Amino acid sequence: MTLFHFGNCFALAYFPYFITYKCSGLSEYNAFWRCVQAGATYLFVQLCKMLFLATFFPTWEGGAGVYDFVGEFMKATVDMADLLGLHLVMSRNAGKGEYKIMVAAMGWATAELVMSRCIPLWVGARGIEFDWKYIQMSFDSNISLVHYIAMAAVVWMFTRYDLPKSFRLPVTVLLGLCVYKAFLMELFIHVFHLGSWTALLVKAVLTGAISLCSLFLFVTHFHSN
Amino acid sequence: MFEEASEVFDNMFKSSFPLTFIVFLPAVLILVSPLPAEAAHEFTVYRMQQYDLQGQPYGSRNAILNTEARTVEAEVLGRRCVLMRLVDFSYEKYQKALRQSAGAVVIILPKNVSTMPQDIVQQFMELEPEFVTTETIVPVYFALEDDELLSIYAQTQASSSSQGSSSAAEVLLHTATANGFQMVTSGAQSKAVSDWAITSLEGRLAGAGGEEQPTIVLVTHYDSYGVAPWLSYGADSNGSGVAILLELARVFSRLYSYKRTHAGYNLLFFVSGGGKFNYQGTKRWLEDNLDHTDSSLLQDNVAFVLCLDTLGSGDSLYLHVSKPPKEGSPQHALLKELESVSASQFPELKFSMVHKKINLAEETLAWEHERFGIRRLPAFTLSHLENHRGAVRKSIMDVRSVSSSSLDGAGQINTGPGVDLKKLRRNTKLIAEALARVIYNLTEKGAQGDLEIFTEQMQVQEEQLASVVDWLTAQPRATQLVDKDSSLVNTLEYYLGRYLKDVKKHYVKADKRDPEFVFYDQLKQTMNAYRVKPAIFDLLLAVCIAAYLGVLYLAIQHFGVLYGVLRRVSQPKSKQH
Repeated sequence: MTLFHFGNCFALAYFPYFITYKCSGLSEYNAFWRCVQAGATYLFVQLCKMLFLATFFPTWEGGAGVYDFVGEFMKATVDMADLLGLHLVMSRNAGKGEYKIMVAAMGWATAELVMSRCIPLWVGARGIEFDWKYIQMSFDSNISLVHYIAMAAVVWMFTRYDLPKSFRLPVTVLLGLCVYKAFLMELFIHVFHLGSWTALLVKAVLTGAISLCSLFLFVTHFHSN
Repeated sequence: MFEEASEVFDNMFKSSFPLTFIVFLPAVLILVSPLPAEAAHEFTVYRMQQYDLQGQPYGSRNAILNTEARTVEAEVLGRRCVLMRLVDFSYEKYQKALRQSAGAVVIILPKNVSTMPQDIVQQFMELEPEFVTTETIVPVYFALEDDELLSIYAQTQASSSSQGSSSAAEVLLHTATANGFQMVTSGAQSKAVSDWAITSLEGRLAGAGGEEQPTIVLVTHYDSYGVAPWLSYGADSNGSGVAILLELARVFSRLYSYKRTHAGYNLLFFVSGGGKFNYQGTKRWLEDNLDHTDSSLLQDNVAFVLCLDTLGSGDSLYLHVSKPPKEGSPQHALLKELESVSASQFPELKFSMVHKKINLAEETLAWEHERFGIRRLPAFTLSHLENHRGAVRKSIMDVRSVSSSSLDGAGQINTGPGVDLKKLRRNTKLIAEALARVIYNLTEKGAQGDLEIFTEQMQVQEEQLASVVDWLTAQPRATQLVDKDSSLVNTLEYYLGRYLKDVKKHYVKADKRDPEFVFYDQLKQTMNAYRVKPAIFDLLLAVCIAAYLGVLYLAIQHFGVLYGVLRRVSQPKSKQH
């Protein structure tokens, strides 16, 4: 399509980040540099993950169309490193819980956006060929912002010493859901043969549910008094 | 935020050079990256003929195509690529597209021509010369249909026919749902091919008694012609002629290898190139033999020249002459033998002679024998066509196909193009018998008309003919595609060499200053069909995205509301404090 189409996709992908940054009050805390640091941590963690995957997970050469459940599950398990990375970012920042969570999540999600969507959008959306997948990709980046905020919140709660015993289980479950969400999505798409739009919708609903739950836990415990 | 960002960047660039490098190198790479060649569909297209013959331009003069697709149903065709299918093709529609200055025309042909109704094929064949003789500025391409291409055609047709109707809302909805296609060819502009050599081959069987014996020349051209060079397989015209010539070479080489059957005639075989371009190969061969050398079989004592052209089907045979043969001449003898053999051995065959004077005012010569006639050599052409304007001689529909009528063995007349092996064999047999009778002078020795010479081991072999025709029609043999090192020429040379002596290649190159023929390249290209949306769709999308972002902004601004609600839900007690 045209440069205009690229502009459309770009706006759809990036403006929510900008709005969130502005409206969450992060700009008033001078948090930009901290966000960049979080992004750098993201890069480092991804590099480690890639090295690990390349070393210990040989490429699976099964038949086409066959889904390797165990292999994919193991690969998803490597995403645990994200939790560690988020924890690392948050532990290095002093401040209120919300502030820590937002900084870590914003930096993390923005780094992902820049690293994994910028180039496909530039190359693809600007090409002659029109495809809905670039619009979908932009929507997907919005969803992943919500996802990372929720994930950071859950990690933060998990690392608190004053977390009551009764909260331990739901937080752990949420943590697991966050990590294996991508794997679950793949599974859904594979089992139910979802179209790209339906898959996006399912992803949005799943992410929305996870983040509502974590928000509920957050509100219940840490703002009770 | 931006001030902060610039500060960060400043620090970054001052502090570390590698970081700068990491940031800038990808940025530069991205900015200069070409647009990807990932297309919705990629298919091969074959361009219409483009050549100059005797200074006269023919065919489509353009090769570059980068426009949106439409079908003829659309109101406006200007600067669009018009898609047509052969099923509903008509010359009026084609003319309409050209009149509206369409950007290009793409004609979609079925994969298998034999599935088409016979009348459509016939009509298209009649039109083919028209396409080429009227010089067109825009590129004209032919594509073979497949499922993807048909679906592109259907979608284009749907969007083309709905134009100019309906309300604004419908049009808006339509822009969001319908697909347009941008057709783009990958190749460059067509340009003249310099120094193209047309190859011809000759070989001979020397008669008993040396060079002074009279010579019989057998001539046929091997190249094919059609509206698109890459699609012209030329089975009947003139694969059949080559097959017969090679078979004659085989049987007569056997006869000539025995002392008792070694006849007193030299046999000269000539497979000419450029036959569809005013017999360029033959012309040069004659010039070389008659003007530039002292001794040649062609110079003295030529009994006759027999040209074979389009002999693969039909139940009639015509001997085309430019001057009726005189009684007592070898030419007349062959005519008589052909008549008597066909009457006694092949009663279903109608044989007759057609007399047509050479018209030098015409741009091109009608038959190959006229090239010899101009040089005062006694010559004629044998063909199953009554008229040199027979559409099958210049058609891409002339492919190797076994028509159903010849399969079931019924005595129907096969009107469609293609080669019927039974008839090809019969024609070969007839020519071989008649030639043998002339060479051995059998009629004067009192042989009956139904005496068969080529029987038993000397059979005319149908498998042999079939394999030659299959081989010839396995690839397009248009004059522009057969260069001097092509496998076709080499195989022909090898085949002739198996039976004949002194097999030689002759090359024709057009004169540099005043070329008699000029060919152009870019005849086969890859075409990409990109799915595109109209500009209004982008605007619509922009409005939608702006609305979405607005809603998102409001939602984030009022996030506190959700927060409050959750708080109240989770702590009903705290509300009471």
